[in-house]
Parts: sequence; C-alpha cells; structure tokens
Amino acid sequence: MSGPVRPYVITGGRSRPSRNVLALESLVSTAPAAGLGDLPDLDADGTGLNREHLRILELCGELLSVAEIAAYLSLPLGVVKVLIGDLWDLGAVHVRPPVQQAERLPSTLLEEVLLGLRQLR
Amino acid sequence: MVSANFAEAARFADADFAEANFATADPAAAVPTRPEYLPSTVQGAVKILITGPFGVGKTTLVGSLSEIAPLRTEETMTAAGAGVDDLTGRPDKTTTTVALDFGRITLNPRLALYLFGTPGQQRFWPLWDDLSRGALGAIALVDARRIEESFDVLGRLEEQRIPFAIAVNSFPDSPSYPEEELRVALDLLPEVPILRCDARDRRAAYDLLIDFVSHLHSTSVLELPQ
Ligand SMILES: Nc1nc2c(ncn2[C@@H]2O[C@H](COP(=O)(O)OP(=O)(O)OP(=O)(O)O)[C@@H](O)[C@H]2O)c(=O)[nH]1
Ligand SMILES: [Mg+2]
Repeated sequence: MSGPVRPYVITGGRSRPSRNVLALESLVSTAPAAGLGDLPDLDADGTGLNREHLRILELCGELLSVAEIAAYLSLPLGVVKVLIGDLWDLGAVHVRPPVQQAERLPSTLLEEVLLGLRQLR
Repeated sequence: MVSANFAEAARFADADFAEANFATADPAAAVPTRPEYLPSTVQGAVKILITGPFGVGKTTLVGSLSEIAPLRTEETMTAAGAGVDDLTGRPDKTTTTVALDFGRITLNPRLALYLFGTPGQQRFWPLWDDLSRGALGAIALVDARRIEESFDVLGRLEEQRIPFAIAVNSFPDSPSYPEEELRVALDLLPEVPILRCDARDRRAAYDLLIDFVSHLHSTSVLELPQ
C-alpha cells in the first residue's frame, strides 16, 4: 500500500461529513454483514470506498467512539468524521448519538453518572 | 467501484489494521494493543472536559480516571483560526495540529463517560465549539504557582456558558492560598466551586469528579421549573 496521504486526499477534498451530527463521543459499530448485500458506490464519479473507510469497518466490529476510532487509526478527527459520515449514509455502520441532557431531566442523567462513579470509586 | 460486501471489505482491510499505528497518550506506552471496546449494551455516552493551561496536569488527571490507557488523537486547525473544517490542503494556509488526550469510564452497562483533556490556550479556541457541544461540564485545573495562566481559559468557559469547577492541583512548592483569596484572584462567581486534588492519585481524582458532578446535579435541581 501507499504511504501516508494528506487528509484532503483521503476525504476526496470534502471537509464536512454528509450528516453533520457526529460528536467525538458518538458511538460507532460496523453493521452486521448479513443481508446487506453489496456496498453501493460512494460517489457518482465512482470513487468508492477507500482503504481508510475499510479500516474503520474492520476496527468497529464492536463499539467505539469517534474519538477512539481516530486515535486507533492515527487519523485527524475531522477526517474520521467525514469517513464515518460516508459509512453511515451507506448503512455500513450504526451510530449511537451522545446522550442528551434534554432527553431526560438533567438531574436524572447526572444521578446516573454519580451513581456509576460512586460504585467505581 | 466497490462491490464487496462488508465481510470482504473487512478482510481486505485486515492487513492495514494489523499495521495500525496505535496512538496512546503516553509516548512510552506506544505499544500496539488491541482496541478496548465498550460493552455492546452501552446505548450512548456523555462527556466532561478537563482543561487548563500548559503542563497543569490534564493528561495526568485523565489517566488517573480512565479505565483504558489514555488515547491521543489529533485535530488539524488552520493557523488563521478558520476552524476544523478546512482540509482543502491549500498551501497558503498553515495548519497546526492539536493533540487531545482522552479517557473513558463505563458507568454502567448502558452509559459511558468520556473525559477529554482540552488545551486551554487561546489559540486552540476554534476547537472548543466542537469539544464542548453537549458536554456535561468542564473541570478547570489551576496551578496555584501560576494562577494568571488560567485567566484565558476561565474567561472562555464563562463566555461559552459551560458549567465548570476549579480544581487546584497540589504541586510540592504550591503556595496554599485560602479559598477566598483564590476566588478573588481568579475573579470567580460565588457559585463556582473551588476543589482540590492530586491528579496523580486515582482516589483523589475520583473524589474530584464525584464532587464536580454533585455540584452539577445540585445546580440542575435548582434550575428545574417548579
Ligand atoms: N505534584 C503533582 N504533580 C502533578 C500533578 N498533576 C500532574 N503533575 C505533574 O505535572 C507534569 C505535567 O502534567 P501533565 O498531566 O502532562 O500536564 P498537561 O496539562 O497534560 O500538560 P500539557 O498537555 O503539556 O498542557 C507531569 O510531570 C505530572 O506528573 C499533581 O496533582 N501533583
Ligand atoms: Mg497533556
């Protein structure tokens, strides 16, 4: 394989994920292969998935955050977000968004955090 | 043109993955390890920022709290401060790389907490929007020997309305200011707690985090509509 490539090459010059809702703590896992069939082309110009996309699919057999994926693959966070966004659009990964305080009463979420910390202490 | 299914894709990438250069926060520990995955039962994560000036103990604190060996990731930032979106590689723009250390605590089978060590210097502020979005809050480490180096970051936390607490890290030759003196020197609002810690000690680090989340909790209860 080739040596290091510059970020804009990896992302095909794109700087934003197609869905701009990935956080550093969003959790990602590769979709089970069964029943998913062929991966469609990524771009109309036939660019397709590159090796970095494939590395993400390989890494995320189990659950990891966007930040962990970037660290394990030694890629900048911005690049990893774009690539995961591509895979998400294709249905190739599942994404669990961050837990928002607004989804629950803020005090319930914080109580859950506190309880967990006290038990681990 | 890609016409492989995911299993094939994964096999194809396996060789690359085996050679992956695993980035740990501790350069001495840059030994390739298999990733430490979250339990599949985890439904989502929350995050807390650990911030403060250069050398104040952010990485140490993250390391004392984290269940995994702290990881390091990098974000590219244009020197012009245009933010993280510019990856066009135009040669007329200088980009700087900012290192973020982070760790993780699985709080229970459904919920994980990420801790991001976030540099406090003004030149890193373009990254803060992204880092702070959705954060429960921030712990601002202060070195009592050089209080003035924390002014920037405290101003930023106030501007961004991120709930925060001060944690004074105890270094051997630190002057021991009474809390009121520190509060005045740091120009803190009365509701901002001043906590103490030794970032190197796991128990002390946990006590700090528990005190901080308790503080967030008591504030959120106060803010609930009646
Ligand atoms: N005595 C004492 N030393 C500490 C404490 N916390 C950190 N240190 C030491 O201070 C030095 C700097 O700590 P780091 O954790 O690297 O600080 P940092 O904020 O991550 O530094 P940068 O990432 O370079 O900004 C290290 O040598 C630590 O061992 C503490 O609570 N007490
Ligand atoms: Mg550090």
